[in-house]
Amino acid sequence: MSTTALPTSSATAVDLSGVFDNRGTTQRSALDRGAFNIWSNTFPAEELPAPGGTIVLGGVPFHFPAPNRDGYDNFRCGGQLVNLPVGRYDWLYLLAAAERRSEDMVALHHTDGSVDVEWLRVSDFWAETPAHFGERFKLSCGSLHYPRHVQSNMSPAIWRTRVPVPAELDLAAVGFPDNPAIHVFALTLVAPAVAS
Amino acid sequence: MTAAVRQPLDNVLPWRHDLVGCLWTSAATILRWHSVPVLETLGAAWGFRHLPGDVRREEYYYPTPPGVSLYQALAPYHPVRSVWHEPADADQGWAQVRAQVAEGIPTVVAADNFYLPFRPAYHDVHTNHLVTVYGYDEQAGTVRVLDAVPPRFDGDIRLTELAAARDSRNPILHERDMFFTDRPIANRWLEIQVDVDRFAPFDRDTIGDTIRRNLDGFAATVGADGGLLGLVGQRTYLADVASRLDGGADIRDELFLVAGAVLANTALHADWLAAAADAVGEPRLAVLGRAVQRIAHHWTAIRILSALTTTGDADGDRLRRRFGGLCDDQARVLTEMADTVAVLARR
Repeated sequence: MSTTALPTSSATAVDLSGVFDNRGTTQRSALDRGAFNIWSNTFPAEELPAPGGTIVLGGVPFHFPAPNRDGYDNFRCGGQLVNLPVGRYDWLYLLAAAERRSEDMVALHHTDGSVDVEWLRVSDFWAETPAHFGERFKLSCGSLHYPRHVQSNMSPAIWRTRVPVPAELDLAAVGFPDNPAIHVFALTLVAPAVAS
Repeated sequence: MTAAVRQPLDNVLPWRHDLVGCLWTSAATILRWHSVPVLETLGAAWGFRHLPGDVRREEYYYPTPPGVSLYQALAPYHPVRSVWHEPADADQGWAQVRAQVAEGIPTVVAADNFYLPFRPAYHDVHTNHLVTVYGYDEQAGTVRVLDAVPPRFDGDIRLTELAAARDSRNPILHERDMFFTDRPIANRWLEIQVDVDRFAPFDRDTIGDTIRRNLDGFAATVGADGGLLGLVGQRTYLADVASRLDGGADIRDELFLVAGAVLANTALHADWLAAAADAVGEPRLAVLGRAVQRIAHHWTAIRILSALTTTGDADGDRLRRRFGGLCDDQARVLTEMADTVAVLARR
């Protein structure tokens, strides 16, 4: 994690807890409490940022999720529509991980009713291969949780990826694809560097 | 009688791709050992084939028509083939593999990860996996094993551990014994033949012929063996899967296995096209490769959707939406592919 962040005024963390439907992190003391993937593996919470805190990854601040009241801390993409603080943004930055790499379209809903579609691309969370989509930053762990044990020689990752907002219009919402291989943990909106 | 000690063979190397499993990683190790190119071989053929009733509960499942070996199915345009050996018991199973390795041949064996101490599934989950054996020391009671599937392992384990993994009944004992279980390992191992001298050069002619063969394959519908072929066969199969799910059938494991095989095949062909672009200086092929990669990413989603069919999170309609997007995108890619190969042929 880098220590130089974007000015807070240009980066807006979005609260996604209302759409969380998956538990992707567990404590070593409660390994079977989550099921990030279909094999019920989870990221080790001890090796990730403190839940509910703000982290800076590659200069972008994120709200790292705490489990919501249902115990969920991320969502599988399943067509969710997330309302955003209305504003002009250049980028959606996400903390995301995929059960094998995948890509799909997100819908960018503008306040004038227009919709653009852009690609959301996320590399595999445990591939032992480099980032496929050119992600430069990740939250990397040194172990992977299984329901009955901790596997110490695996390095799962939550990637920082980004989606461009080409239209110079106010953005109101983002619609995620129906692709359950892709999980999203956090979203931060980044405003234009130079206002027009 | 073979020697009690066989030092690890040279040039037995791992190979990894993020969208493939042990069938391809072990095949790649064998191809590398023969000093033939991996991606150019495993990524050449791209197609769809489904043989009803053929889907086997193995991590290394690949649709294999009658009379065609597993490696022929995997790389049908290249001079490779394989024979499954099914020894009578564990003793014979080790004797046969030991004889292969003693002769200097790295040998791919089936194994249940439940008994392999380097696998995360050790003493947890049963499965039907492939690893490569390439040395042993019976005096020390060890065997040298390579497994490129994460977490990669290249080292010695106890002979007794490998024997247990190879002789496993591979049972279903709990809810995470999914997809690849309930099929005894049966000490099986692969004899693999690679006719190195008959490999064609990776040049413009080979690349053009390969793409045309793939297009012909996608234009086919039903094979002589009754299998579903091509894009029409793919649409038919996927429609049938969704209908069966509507009717209450449990399609989870079957679709997961089918999707895993097609995903690997498609992803490798995408990279093959990128390699072809580089080999002959044709950027259009790289663009085509990226389009095929998108098709692979559909299959990533389908693979997970299949697993969600038994949790109530994926019904027939949800599958059909993804299947429709896949097949429509794929039809466009195949059209682009035909256009591209026609342009290349005119140059």
